Amino acid sequence: MDRILEIIGELRKAGREEFRVTTPVPQPYGAVDPEHLRVELAAGAAAHLVVLHTKAATSSLDVELAEGAQFELTELFLGETFCTTNVRQGARSRCRMTTVLLAGANVGCTVDLTGADAENSLGGTFLVGGREHAVVKLRTNHRVADCRSDSTFKGVAGGEAVGEFSGLVYVAQDAQRTDAQQQSRNVLLSDTARITTMPQLEIYADDVKCSHGATVGQMDADAILYMRQRGLSEAQARRLQIEGFVGDIVRRCGVEPLGEAVLELAAEKLEKL
Amino acid sequence: MENNMLSVKNLHATVEGKEILRGINLEVKAGEVHAIMGPNGSGKSTLASVLAGNEKFTVTEGSVEFLGQDLLAMPIEDRARLGLFLGFQYPVEIPGVTMANFMKLAVNEQRRYRGEEPLTAAEFLRLMKEKSAVVELSSKLTSRAVNEGFSGGEKKKNEIFQMAMLDPKLAILDETDSGLDIDALRIVATGVTKLHTPQNATVVITHYQRLLDYIVPDVVHVLYKGRIIHTGDKTLALKLEKEGYDWLINEYDK
Repeated sequence: MDRILEIIGELRKAGREEFRVTTPVPQPYGAVDPEHLRVELAAGAAAHLVVLHTKAATSSLDVELAEGAQFELTELFLGETFCTTNVRQGARSRCRMTTVLLAGANVGCTVDLTGADAENSLGGTFLVGGREHAVVKLRTNHRVADCRSDSTFKGVAGGEAVGEFSGLVYVAQDAQRTDAQQQSRNVLLSDTARITTMPQLEIYADDVKCSHGATVGQMDADAILYMRQRGLSEAQARRLQIEGFVGDIVRRCGVEPLGEAVLELAAEKLEKL
Repeated sequence: MENNMLSVKNLHATVEGKEILRGINLEVKAGEVHAIMGPNGSGKSTLASVLAGNEKFTVTEGSVEFLGQDLLAMPIEDRARLGLFLGFQYPVEIPGVTMANFMKLAVNEQRRYRGEEPLTAAEFLRLMKEKSAVVELSSKLTSRAVNEGFSGGEKKKNEIFQMAMLDPKLAILDETDSGLDIDALRIVATGVTKLHTPQNATVVITHYQRLLDYIVPDVVHVLYKGRIIHTGDKTLALKLEKEGYDWLINEYDK
């Protein structure tokens, strides 16, 4: 965690409760345990924001993207934070979100696509063990026509941990030609861990391309056997498989060395699951 | 000095209560190439899996010594670290895990077992480059996820690439030739031949004589109903190709 704090420490502080970005050249901002944060990107502006949550506290983040703004948001949960994130996107805006829970946090995230040709992509994962309990609620609202959204959330639970995922894609009557995808993929590492997943579509437009899928499975025993035959211990093989499972999500973390640092932390956590 | 590498005595094994191996005897010495042939369902792949340590199978009788150690008492990974390699008939895909990452862990884990220092990043890269040339495996594949999206031929080449990386004492290749076109077969078989030395041994399990045009065996065994019913030299494989197994099976079933 020190390494992650160090990386975020080098970013510009997004400490104030509200800030507005107008520059089109993306600058990385960082915030640690904000109680409330509001970010506005002016038309055509671009920014990265990394938010680290380490405490059992409540936190909220509001993001407003004007026309053509480009935003990259990484949220890391290392504490049992109760967090609400709301993102409103104007026309032609792009938002790429990465959410990583390495603790039993409670995360609610709502994305509103309010201008045509807006695009949102979200990749998330939770890794819980022991008696941790992670909750993730996503809601993507396609309010207007011609927007795209895709989200993939991967859950891993070991020990007696519980993971809950629910995702709703809402498509308003006027939101024709919506393209929305949602995936929930989950792996249970023990007989006593539990994951529930609830993907939902609520569609009122008739010309849309929407899909969703959810799976809950176990470790691939054949892959473990294969890796052990090459000399890896069972623990190494399990760890490698889970790293492979969540690696693409964790590596999304926008700011350069952060992805690797988070993967390292995730790997440490996996040792204990 | 005894140069016996593998000594299998009266090996019996079951899966889900059904007996598949019913008294296998097999001696493999360093420097030798053995071929195990036989009709479908005779127990060839089971023998490979049991030797590798697949826990799905239960050994009910018999013993296996490998390099002077009790193989059956060891877990899969220790058998591998001691120098036993299994080329899988159906190599497994591991999404998200790159070949390079996987091989680095495997090579260094085996080195650690032998009391050797781990390879540096530069040494490892050099080894990858050198060994991928053995089976003409493109460097693009070694940077991809393990077997994911590989063609049948690429998967089998990848098995031999891993064998080259790990430099085992004994390699058991389970139908490495199945599903290969002529070119891939030549590349895979030539790769195996290149890796053969007087210090190591290879057991190839195959249906077809054509693999043995490249990998010339010292000994050919015919497995049937869980037993080795006939053993001969390389000419046996040619005879089987021409005449099939019936003459042996009929003799045995009598």
